Amino acid sequence: MLQKKICMLGGFAVGKTSLVRRFVQSIFSETYLTTVGVKIDKKSVVLPDKTVDLILWDLAGEDDIGSFRVSYVRGATGLVLVVDGTRAATLAVALTLRERVEAEFGPMPFVLLFNKSDLADRWAIPDSDIDGLRQLGWQIYLTSALSGECVDDAFRQLASMVTE
Amino acid sequence: MDTLRELLVGREISELSRVTHLLDEPEQLAAAVGDVLPSAAASASHAQLGEAFAPVVERAVRRSIQKNPRTLTDILYPVFLPAIRKSIGEKIDQTFQSLNESLRHIFTWHGLKWRLEAWRTGTSFSEVVLKHSLAYQVEHVFLINRNSGLLITHVAADNATSEDPQLISSMLSAIQDFVKDSFNEKEQSGLDTIRFGELRLWSEVGPFATLVAVIRGNPPEELHEIIRDVLLRIHDQSSEALEQFDGDSSQLTGVEAQLRTCVELKHEDSNEGFPWLVVAAVLLVLVPAGGWFFLSWQAGQRWQAYVSRLETQPGIIVAEHQMRGGQFYIAGLRDPLATDPQSLLSGTQVDPARVHSQWQFYQSLEPEFVLKRLTASLAPPDTVRLSIVNGRIVAEGEAPDTWIDRARAAAQQLSAGGPEFDISKVRDVSPEARAAEHWQAYVSRLGTQPGIIVAEQKIRDGQFYVAGLRDPLAADPQALLSGTEVDPARVHSQWQFYQSLEPEFVVKRLTASLAPPDTVRLSIVNDRIVAEGEASDTWISRAQAAAQQLSAGGPVFDISRVRDVSPEAREAERWQAYVSRLETQPGIIVSEQKIRGGQFYIAGLRDPLGADPQSLLSGAQIDPARVHSQWQFYQSLEPEFVVKRLTASLYPPDTVRFSIVNNRIVAEGEAPDTWIDKARAAARQLSAGGPEFDISKVRDVSPEARAAEHWQYYVSRLEAQPGIIVAQQTERGGHFYISGLRDPLAADPQALLSGTEVDPARVHSQWQFYQSLDPKFVVKRLTASLTPPKSVQVSIVQGRIVVVGEAPAAWITRAQAASEQLSADGVVLDVSQLRELNLAELNYLREAIQTTDIFFSSGKVVPGPEQVPVLDRLADQIKEFAQNARKSGVTARFMLTGHSDATGRETANASISAARAETVRALLNKRGVPPELLLVRGAGTFEPLVPENIQTGSSTNRRVSVTVNLD
Repeated sequence: MLQKKICMLGGFAVGKTSLVRRFVQSIFSETYLTTVGVKIDKKSVVLPDKTVDLILWDLAGEDDIGSFRVSYVRGATGLVLVVDGTRAATLAVALTLRERVEAEFGPMPFVLLFNKSDLADRWAIPDSDIDGLRQLGWQIYLTSALSGECVDDAFRQLASMVTE
Repeated sequence: MDTLRELLVGREISELSRVTHLLDEPEQLAAAVGDVLPSAAASASHAQLGEAFAPVVERAVRRSIQKNPRTLTDILYPVFLPAIRKSIGEKIDQTFQSLNESLRHIFTWHGLKWRLEAWRTGTSFSEVVLKHSLAYQVEHVFLINRNSGLLITHVAADNATSEDPQLISSMLSAIQDFVKDSFNEKEQSGLDTIRFGELRLWSEVGPFATLVAVIRGNPPEELHEIIRDVLLRIHDQSSEALEQFDGDSSQLTGVEAQLRTCVELKHEDSNEGFPWLVVAAVLLVLVPAGGWFFLSWQAGQRWQAYVSRLETQPGIIVAEHQMRGGQFYIAGLRDPLATDPQSLLSGTQVDPARVHSQWQFYQSLEPEFVLKRLTASLAPPDTVRLSIVNGRIVAEGEAPDTWIDRARAAAQQLSAGGPEFDISKVRDVSPEARAAEHWQAYVSRLGTQPGIIVAEQKIRDGQFYVAGLRDPLAADPQALLSGTEVDPARVHSQWQFYQSLEPEFVVKRLTASLAPPDTVRLSIVNDRIVAEGEASDTWISRAQAAAQQLSAGGPVFDISRVRDVSPEAREAERWQAYVSRLETQPGIIVSEQKIRGGQFYIAGLRDPLGADPQSLLSGAQIDPARVHSQWQFYQSLEPEFVVKRLTASLYPPDTVRFSIVNNRIVAEGEAPDTWIDKARAAARQLSAGGPEFDISKVRDVSPEARAAEHWQYYVSRLEAQPGIIVAQQTERGGHFYISGLRDPLAADPQALLSGTEVDPARVHSQWQFYQSLDPKFVVKRLTASLTPPKSVQVSIVQGRIVVVGEAPAAWITRAQAASEQLSADGVVLDVSQLRELNLAELNYLREAIQTTDIFFSSGKVVPGPEQVPVLDRLADQIKEFAQNARKSGVTARFMLTGHSDATGRETANASISAARAETVRALLNKRGVPPELLLVRGAGTFEPLVPENIQTGSSTNRRVSVTVNLD
């Protein structure tokens, strides 16, 4: 049994919960997010040589970064940063959250998801910005919780990064 | 030799002597070993070093304790204290648990049984209780990594089920974090116990891992120790693997066996036979005895309830009460106005026959009783209200002085021991005071009357005196007296007439003295009197004289807009108007006309079918007796007269219609051949000199031909309909068959049948629905699906659908999406001319309107001429704003609020402020602002722009302000 703790980070209503809802194994209701501030789901990823259970900590999204509980990230080996592609401000929120986590626990592997790619007409993040981040060597996926586009790819990529 | 040795090994000898010297000198040796000791200890084998050091360290510690125990105690204090505290806490919990269990079971059936067992076996009762009540089972054990919350191992009892243990263990550590963060708890131990009904979660925290046991039932506190031991053993065995745990649990397989020992822990209660016989015997004795005790206890309880209820009653004092031999005795004092103790008895279930009371009457001084007695003795008039405020009795209102004297006497009487009776708030209303009040109301009313100036007024010996000026046209002060309740016989007025120069009085006087004719209208515009209309020159010269008279001090009387109309000039004008009207009449030719000696002469030709010149005279305001006409009849060949004559002679059927096209008379329609022959004869007759009569468009109609024609007409009408495509149509045996395609939004072919005179019973249609891409239908569908806002116009220009106007951004996006969809079908939907609704300009305009104020002179309700440009600009802005708001689909309304300064009476100020707002509304209306958009209110002095004490305050506050509301 190989498990890894992964934290999902992102601003308010970027679609973290919807992203995991269809692709993971879950026993807790979404009210945990609002009461305890965290909800835990499991995603099993089969890699060529092994199977990894990603234990996903979905932290309650807040645009008020001050109230973010960094302590929940303790012991995590990877991050899923989620950005709402129709709201440019959520990119800055995700990057700030990542900086706070790295300041506390040191650098760790992550994937960056630009969600809601199905809403192409309201897309607010220029391609040049995304290309610029790719130049940094970041793993970036345009995902849609609606169509499921790229979601599995992103989890697979993260699983191989955290087991290296 | 020495030299040779010196040469060969000289360096080694000096080195050797240095080392020997180092070993011999203890200080130098200590310094040298001290340099290498830490690294030597680090590189030595751990096991050997430990063994070598153990006896030394033990001796050193023993020595240190012998020397001074405090040093080591201080060092270990932070380690021991939490451990000791926790251990003591658990011991106390254990004690409480056993005490709780003992107490819980003392009076139960189990309790009796277990007492017997304790007595029989010779053990303590609480031990027996614990043994039986602590039935439990450990169902799950989780070993969780403390750092990441990841599950290391999970073991469940055979019959236990749970959800995914990986998720549960992460959630458990999340909840630990949550509690710790939420309550700012710095303690390292974490959550100890979670309890949910029958389930308990007990957790023990180790350095690297937390052990959580899920227990069903009621576990003994010792279980904590057992669990802690297991956790300690696990840490002993695999400390390194636990510390380096990174999610891979294959390194920690041995742990499971340890956890298994926890899950095997349980205790089950044994079930023995129930001794029914003992229970029955005990019940037989207990039930009657319990019943008797209960009944007598209940009677006592009820009596106590009644007595305490009496004690809370105001005006009742219970002196003593007792219960003896099933009888109740009570004695005390009561006010006659208090509630009857006997009546309180009903509803308490105390038997009245067993109650023996002894009450003495007394007068209670509690305020509510005093109030009742005062009400009875003083009989206050309706205008006085008595109430109790903080234990004092307060009288408020108005009363005659005689009553107030009586009340004062009662208050003095009460002051000895009773509650205070406050009559200071009762106003004395003797008739004189009342009359004076009425008088003042009357005088202030006079003061607000236009045309009346009160110079002085006073009251002396019950008589009222007033003196001042009044305009004869102003309201009669005597008449204003009625309804004020002031006795006219006691009023002595002295009025001197004066001529008020307020424009409205001047207008009245001018109307009386000048008697303007009906054609002249007098009005007041910006304090000027303006006469408009027409008048004879004699009247105008009189008006000019009056204007000159007024110019000294009075308002301007402007008569420049009155036109001079002397009677002769007017009559000549009317005659010319009549003649020119005749000349434009078809069928009338005026050959000559003139005016001589006040008489009118006219001559010419007229067609009998033309209009009658005499009848045209009425309404021309010319005296018919003075008109002398000479008309000769002729037949006009103007087409419209010819049509009239033809219509009279030919009697065309209803299906034939005459019309005049380029001076030709054209008959169209259908008629029987007989009529066509008659018409042809008439046409021949006319051909000599008259207009052409064209009957080629009248068709001959036989019934069959007509039916076929109707059908063809119907079909061509269908074919011309957008959204209808006729595929096939035939006529067979008097029946009509038609088939094709139609759009659901197109006209209904059946409905088109009506009015075509085709018999619907003979029509057989077969229509299939399709969606027309005709722009008209696309527009209909778009309108239904997009619901464009009012500000958007959809139109068809050369086969393209063009959307023009202003709309919200979201709507534009939807329209663009529709345009893309349609382009695939080859329909052009042009949305390029849509503009996003811009409210910024509107807000700017609203700001401009709301900061505009119209100012007034003191006492004036009409703004001065200097405000005209302000009003002009305001009217333009309001109109523009209203128009733009309407485009955006909202209605703007403008609230005009009048204000006054604080000088003068408040009522006058309120009415003047409302009048100012009304005036501005009228002035804006005059400048083209629709009155329904303007609302009016008067704020009096209540909303001043600046405080009144500032020098310029009053002139700034005399204004009308505007606020914009959108709905």
